[in-house]
Amino acid sequence: MNSEISIIALSLQTAAVATAVTLPMGMLIAWLLVRRDFRGKFVLDVFVSLPLALPPVVVGYMLLWIVGGNSWFGEVSESLFGSTIAFTWLAAALAAAVVSLPLVVRSFAAALAAVDPRLESAARGLGAGPFRTFLTVTLPLAYRGVIAGALLGFIRAFSEFGATIVVAGNIPGRTQTIPSAIFTRISSGDTEAAWRLALVSVVIGIAALAAHNWLLRRSNASSILFSRPGGRDQ
Amino acid sequence: MISFDIQLDRPGFSLDVAGTFEGGITAVFGPSGAGKTTLLNCIAGSIRPDSGHVKVDGRTLYSSHEPSWIAPDRRRIGTVYQDGALFPHLDVRRNIEFGWRLIPQSSRKLAPIEIAEFLGLEKHLSRLPAELSGGERQRVAIARALAISPNLLLLDEPLASLDAARRGSILNYLKRVHAEYEIPMVYVSHSISEVAAIASKAMLLRDGRVVGFDRPTSLLLRAASSQSGTVDGQGEYQERFDNILPGVVGESTRHLTAINMACVEIFATRQNRIPGDNVVVSLGANQIILAVSEPRDISARNVIRGTVLEIWSSEGRVFLEVDTGQKLIVELTESALDDLRIEVGTDVFLVFKSSSVDIFDA
Repeated sequence: MNSEISIIALSLQTAAVATAVTLPMGMLIAWLLVRRDFRGKFVLDVFVSLPLALPPVVVGYMLLWIVGGNSWFGEVSESLFGSTIAFTWLAAALAAAVVSLPLVVRSFAAALAAVDPRLESAARGLGAGPFRTFLTVTLPLAYRGVIAGALLGFIRAFSEFGATIVVAGNIPGRTQTIPSAIFTRISSGDTEAAWRLALVSVVIGIAALAAHNWLLRRSNASSILFSRPGGRDQ
Repeated sequence: MISFDIQLDRPGFSLDVAGTFEGGITAVFGPSGAGKTTLLNCIAGSIRPDSGHVKVDGRTLYSSHEPSWIAPDRRRIGTVYQDGALFPHLDVRRNIEFGWRLIPQSSRKLAPIEIAEFLGLEKHLSRLPAELSGGERQRVAIARALAISPNLLLLDEPLASLDAARRGSILNYLKRVHAEYEIPMVYVSHSISEVAAIASKAMLLRDGRVVGFDRPTSLLLRAASSQSGTVDGQGEYQERFDNILPGVVGESTRHLTAINMACVEIFATRQNRIPGDNVVVSLGANQIILAVSEPRDISARNVIRGTVLEIWSSEGRVFLEVDTGQKLIVELTESALDDLRIEVGTDVFLVFKSSSVDIFDA
């Protein structure tokens, strides 16, 4: 029982750190995609969305190659910390962040696109710089969609399995999250424990999705999961 | 003073315009898609042109030669958008104070509360934009732009989303704002009537090019020919010209109400208004009949003497400017003009029915 609580705690910790990373990154990327015209926009869009299109195992394998000792990133982290981050809970958080980023970007993009760009122009004309405009106009008008997107990202990070197990392993007490723990329980035939953890996943998932949908129904942004035909209401 | 020379190429659209606007109210007008709003956005800085320059009061805001670029938030140019573009999450007071808070204290020439009072908004300060009428929203938008003590006020179709009854009122507020604060204005509109009512000079755009820059009434014909047959954004034909003029309600009889305008008294159908009320009068140019001798025993209630100041004619359409003490535009057909042998300087009588005179709140 104690080990299960620590598994849940580690899962929450991993998902929270992943969300803390995807939130500002997702916001920046969504803002670029929605409000800016630049060369390479298409490439950025495809690159960010790629984890949606790949088997998570492949994402994990690529991440393992990037964080492992043979890459530039791996060498730097090895010389800094004495080891690479592969097979640590940080790697699990990284995997969760990469896999949830496309959902976060898409949700944020929908939320930002629902804000009338003329309101931003008006704020700029009244003397607000780009950052102040974002904080005082764009964000307050998009916040429901932003919170909904963050929730969606969190729940995706929380349920991440395929990429995590490749890049972080399944080490009890260190990198074992709820999905990998369930996998272990099923493999070892401990169905009662597997069901218990599955129930925890279901409860958290339902709570997050309910909050997500409730927020979106009250905002202008349409849900990417349950979008109405034709997109935004006009 | 504003001077600009702007080139901009976008898929399916290009803008190549140059001009110099002195102080006062200058209009930019033309059919929708002519590039009016794009020109305004280039002056405000929300669009960066491909080449050229934009200068306001000698300050270079954009130049491709130097090169230089001043971000929109450092230009101190107030913009009033078509439907106000008020911040929906902020109440009226916060909307008005939004820009005022951001400018240095030494530059705050106008206090938000004074502006709010001037525009009759003091009772609405704690309301949200969604709780306001269209006219109130537009007044908040004007107040918000004025609060930054702008060097220049840009107005992008400020009346387009209002009904006729409210247009006169906002026009009047804009004239009063201009008289009170002496801020130069650029007024964008697709309506020549509106432009003639407020601006001293007008630039006519068509397909991203300047096709005329003159007194608004002198551009009437070209405006009419550039717009006849084209449907504007509101889905109406823009062929008709309305004289839009300020007036004061006079005495009423059983069926008529007198309206006093500068040096002229005209009659409208009876209004439920108190004598002394300020109103806006709208009279279609094609509702006026022209006579060279004084008509007698006629049913029309308005017969006004005047002198022809100017005549513009082309392709069968004729516009005359007649000074009756108040300058009025009259539209005739070319054959009528020929038959009556009217020329500049001819004394004429303007005849129109009281029911042709529309009266709106000022």
